[in-house]
Amino acid sequence: MARHNLEKQLSILDFALSSLWRHRMKSLSVLLVFAAVIFLLASFQMVTQALSDKAKQVLAHTPEITLQKMSAGRQESIPLAYGEQLAGIFGIRRVVPRIWGYYFDEVRLANYTVMGLEVNEMPEGGRLGATLAKGVMPGPADEAQGRVVVGQSIKKTMDLAGRTTFSLFRPDLSLKPFEISGEFSPDTDILTNDLIVMNVADARDLFGIPAGLVTDLCVYVANPKEIETIAKKISEALPSVRVLTRSQIQKTYQVVFGWRSGFGSICLLAALAAFVILAWDKASGLSPEERREIAILKVLGWETSDILAVRSRESVIVSGLACIVGMTAAYIHVVYFDAALFRPVLMGWSVLRPDLHLLPRLAAGDILLILAFTVIPYLAATVIPAWRSATVPADSALGG
Amino acid sequence: MLIELSQVSKVYNQGRANEVRALSGIDLTVEQGSMVCLKGPSGSGKSTLLAIIGCIFPPTSGRAVIAERQLARLPDRFLTLHRRETIGFIFQRFNILPELTVLENIALPLLPLGVTPKERKLRAHELLERFGISHRAQFPAGQISGGELQRVAIARALINNQPIILADEPTAHLDTNLSREFMAIMQQLKAAGKTIVIASHDPLVFEHPAIDRTVTILDGRIHVP
Repeated sequence: MARHNLEKQLSILDFALSSLWRHRMKSLSVLLVFAAVIFLLASFQMVTQALSDKAKQVLAHTPEITLQKMSAGRQESIPLAYGEQLAGIFGIRRVVPRIWGYYFDEVRLANYTVMGLEVNEMPEGGRLGATLAKGVMPGPADEAQGRVVVGQSIKKTMDLAGRTTFSLFRPDLSLKPFEISGEFSPDTDILTNDLIVMNVADARDLFGIPAGLVTDLCVYVANPKEIETIAKKISEALPSVRVLTRSQIQKTYQVVFGWRSGFGSICLLAALAAFVILAWDKASGLSPEERREIAILKVLGWETSDILAVRSRESVIVSGLACIVGMTAAYIHVVYFDAALFRPVLMGWSVLRPDLHLLPRLAAGDILLILAFTVIPYLAATVIPAWRSATVPADSALGG
Repeated sequence: MLIELSQVSKVYNQGRANEVRALSGIDLTVEQGSMVCLKGPSGSGKSTLLAIIGCIFPPTSGRAVIAERQLARLPDRFLTLHRRETIGFIFQRFNILPELTVLENIALPLLPLGVTPKERKLRAHELLERFGISHRAQFPAGQISGGELQRVAIARALINNQPIILADEPTAHLDTNLSREFMAIMQQLKAAGKTIVIASHDPLVFEHPAIDRTVTILDGRIHVP
């Protein structure tokens, strides 16, 4: 009995395949549109996941807690002396000053992110060397004045060719010379592409920030489990200071990518809805030949359930093929074309677009999500027309 | 009796504005191994009567017993199963699926039965040999001649070895030679014990010597001259 059923199922599958071939223009048009919808959704999901992964990986190097002084709801420079006020909080390993700002290059119409760091004072400063493709991070002010590490796009944008020196304007329009001592790895492009890292003294000089002030204080803690508690104690000790933990910054990035992805998804849902309408239309529009074929099969002893099974197999085959084609195309689009279609939406506002090489990740959950948003609506849209076609009366195959 | 119809009537769209009474008070019996022709003009009810005998739908009223099963008592699914085991159909224009091969067309009734591909092929080849068209087995059915098409349709009606063969206007689109050839094959099948009912208004059919009885249908009723 089981063998008999298996033979029947195989026969129906065989007939469904030949039926798709016989109506190949109709099948192909639905398959192509379906594959295109899956391609868009899968590409979007892959890019979002890859960007989130990359951001998470790079943000692992950020300080556990960042302090910024707020005044009238806006950020302003924070006195170095604030760090001394935190000496009494147990569990703080070190407080390191940082200057973080933006430099607009009027000649090239590009915005650079400038970061002044005291790498030697940072507890894990040595590990920052791992983010470099070549060279070393700038040392303390007395040893490395004017030395910088730059992101991949900086050299290209400044058109430095073989030179390793360049100059930027101070607020008083005098020129400050810099020498490139290292370059960030392309793997960190998402955060470092437009970045120039120098020591704090150079950054203070470039931006004209008075001595004793910086933009942020980076707080490193001894026990990562105590981050939230220490952050709370800092907030109590310094009420005018904004306290940002690493997990909050990571969440901000996730939300930004999530928002962009959500925006894109809404746009793609419109495409999906249009496709479902097309699928319904194609599946319900039986040609006279198709109606005749169904009637003939029924007269020849095919049950309504057999016809429905053929139609269902056809839908499953089209869905399966569309999934394979769509997801493969999405993978190629992300890996080999760096998600060219979605880069403007997902990469943000920076003038220097990161030259990212994304490694797509598609977890089982993501695949299920894509299937839920594509295959299930398609099957739902075709099942009723399939049932309607299966109920074509058999006597319509007979003459008058 | 293999076919017994008593006071059978069929009304389409009953109770609606477009109600059509297709058959009224039909009494008909057909013995096993006989060949009966249902004669009458287009729209007289021949095809409806053939559909009831072919277990496509039950009558609206009356008693129809086909191969010892009373149709009115059978749900739609069992009508299909009974038709599958009992009735072989030959359609007007033969209703062959032109994109399928000759062999695939002949084997179509076996697909939902769970018959293995090997067995399907074997049975189809036996019939192709019998009707002299084995060389056309792998040809698309849309590319063979009218005479070959007719034999494919007959082979398909016999593939499941059903005892009753129903033919609906089988010679309507055939020339005289092919019509004669068709009737010759029917005569052979009758000799082999098949019960055959042909709906036709072609004199080549109803005047054929192999026909045991001709029943004239007019306006949904059996016409007695």
